[in-house]
Amino acid sequence: MPPKGFKKASAAPNKTLVLDNGAYSLKAGLVPHTSVNPGYDDCSVLPNCIARSHRDRCTYTSSELFDCKDFGELAFRRPVEKGFIVNWEAEKAIWEHEFMDDTAKEGLRCDPTETNLLLTERPNCPKQLQSNCDEIVFEQFEFAAYYRGVGSTFNAYHPWNVDSVSALPQECLMVIDTSYSDTTIMPIYSGRLVQAAIRRLTVGGKLLTNYLKELASLRHYNMMEETYLLNEIKEAVSFVAPSMQQFSKDLERTWKGRLGDKRILDSTIVVDYVLPDYERSIHGYARPHDPAKSRMRRGLQPLQGPREDLLPLGNERFAVPELLFNPSDIGIQEAGLHEAIMESLNELPDALKAGMLANVVVVGGNSLIPGFMERLENELRPLVPAQYILDMRRAEDPIKHTWLGAAQFASQPDLLQQVLVSKAEYDERGSTWLLKKFSGKD
Amino acid sequence: MPHVEVLPNSASAAAPGWHYVVDTGYDPSKVAFNPKDRKRVAARPGGARGENELSARQQTAIARRIAELDRDNDMKQVVTVPGKQAPAKTQNARRIIQYQRQIKHWLDEEEALLQQAPPPRPTAAGARTGQTTRRQSTMPQTPAEGTPGPAQHIPTHIGFHGDAENDVDPLLSIQSSIPPPLKPAELEALLSAPPLSYAESHASPRAPGGPRQRQFCDNCGYWGKIKCLKCGARVCGLECKDAHEATRCLKWA
Ligand SMILES: [Zn+2]
Ligand SMILES: [Zn+2]
Repeated sequence: MPPKGFKKASAAPNKTLVLDNGAYSLKAGLVPHTSVNPGYDDCSVLPNCIARSHRDRCTYTSSELFDCKDFGELAFRRPVEKGFIVNWEAEKAIWEHEFMDDTAKEGLRCDPTETNLLLTERPNCPKQLQSNCDEIVFEQFEFAAYYRGVGSTFNAYHPWNVDSVSALPQECLMVIDTSYSDTTIMPIYSGRLVQAAIRRLTVGGKLLTNYLKELASLRHYNMMEETYLLNEIKEAVSFVAPSMQQFSKDLERTWKGRLGDKRILDSTIVVDYVLPDYERSIHGYARPHDPAKSRMRRGLQPLQGPREDLLPLGNERFAVPELLFNPSDIGIQEAGLHEAIMESLNELPDALKAGMLANVVVVGGNSLIPGFMERLENELRPLVPAQYILDMRRAEDPIKHTWLGAAQFASQPDLLQQVLVSKAEYDERGSTWLLKKFSGKD
Repeated sequence: MPHVEVLPNSASAAAPGWHYVVDTGYDPSKVAFNPKDRKRVAARPGGARGENELSARQQTAIARRIAELDRDNDMKQVVTVPGKQAPAKTQNARRIIQYQRQIKHWLDEEEALLQQAPPPRPTAAGARTGQTTRRQSTMPQTPAEGTPGPAQHIPTHIGFHGDAENDVDPLLSIQSSIPPPLKPAELEALLSAPPLSYAESHASPRAPGGPRQRQFCDNCGYWGKIKCLKCGARVCGLECKDAHEATRCLKWA
């Protein structure tokens, strides 16, 4: 009798679960093998966490968070750490909830034994974690066939021309992924990573949120248990100063001055964030700073009418995302993003440098912070020798871009068949073989 | 799981000391200041510390704070997976699902394996990359990995290397805009080089002599013009100095 789940190599299913498994969110969609070009609308973005509220004593698994009404003191458990799947107990529960159980929404629900899995990973993943992942995919979920690859390599399969899907990857592509876990710089040649030139910055969205949480807690209220709220505030008020000079000017405009020389805070830059009370409001909002209302905050709330809790935000608005360009501001021993890009390019022969610089694509949520692209360009341009063309753009949807590249890859059976490994092959040859195969050395 | 501890051997003094232990989460008692490290700091070339250099104690404090800011899960908060779980289908799967180790365990384990058996690097002719020895990790170390070693100064090359063979007479500078064509062997060596480890993939620090590290007020975030004598943090003035002493002074030390 053939092993359970045995299928002939030619009988691979004609649909693929394309999964960009981020630390903060899963980007997922079922892609049929047809010539129809998948688009951003085919991608669902789901929280990759299990959250527990101490207040309503509810536990929320992934998309259940969309129905949460009280984010106060919410504790999160995230299966992905530093970009890699570490905790399979939690990841399994989330995958089952979103893709397999009755809780899965129509359009995502699938029977793994009749589905291929195309799973993205971050570069420089410890081998043991890659092995754990492969073993769970085949032994626990029993997907019919599977491929695991670095997410950004699929970006090379984005068609140059939106009307055509090309089976050929772009020749030179530099992907800068600034997302939750960290920021990685990945030069890609014909769909293959130039491994020795990958560079990574510790600074990602998680660190920025935690830094803002630390600053707000030190300067105003203890908000150390309010990660959800601080992330929301970060997304609402952050901006990247266009240059170091402007950073210095903004720092002056937001300084309170010293004893005997008090300054008035510049309310074109300082904002008051009205905190949600999770009774009348679920989300807060920012408005220009009003010194009178801020004074009222200190114990002089009106007895009648709604009470307001305000969090004033001055230099926090731009000093937090500044870490992407100056990690050393908090003592991280790494150069800024622009310098790390040059460090990566210096690993490449000149012919490739030129090609990479002419095709830089920025993905990941931090690229949406206002001013980010302008600052990156302002910092990078002087470092690039004049004879090179610098063409850098942010992906149309920086959150879903990597997923879409992978989905476009998966929608082309010829490409997909070259990389997929079937469960039967895995059962026969084992996980050590698979690890080698996916690293391109079989 | 047995307690495993690998001590750095004396021949590899340049490598930062590390060990891995049963993962029980963060334990402040394990990160006591290591006096051995002071010698290394004091003995490093360049002699006495300059104005902006940090004591080993300050480095530990900074590393601890960064580890806190970069942490993914708070082990103090237990979030149990709700509902009835589908049982594990194989022995292997059960083992993997039961792991409650954090990322630090896996990264330390990977570094340990690499220390024992450095992977062979390709030496194909023409490959520029991959021939160099392993990149030094420049990531800030988390305290449980031992106290930080001396600050590493790996020059970051801003702009491109001047390659001797590519140095073109300025009179012929039009040609310099056309880079030499890629040799197939060079390309193949580049593309088949093994991945860097996670630690190796981190960007280098700024070269010494580059822009000076900016110093901020520990309390309000304005420029840090005054140094706290107790902990070395900076503050902007007396008002913030008082606030600093009441809140964060020595918090991370
Ligand atoms: Zn201050
Ligand atoms: Zn102090």
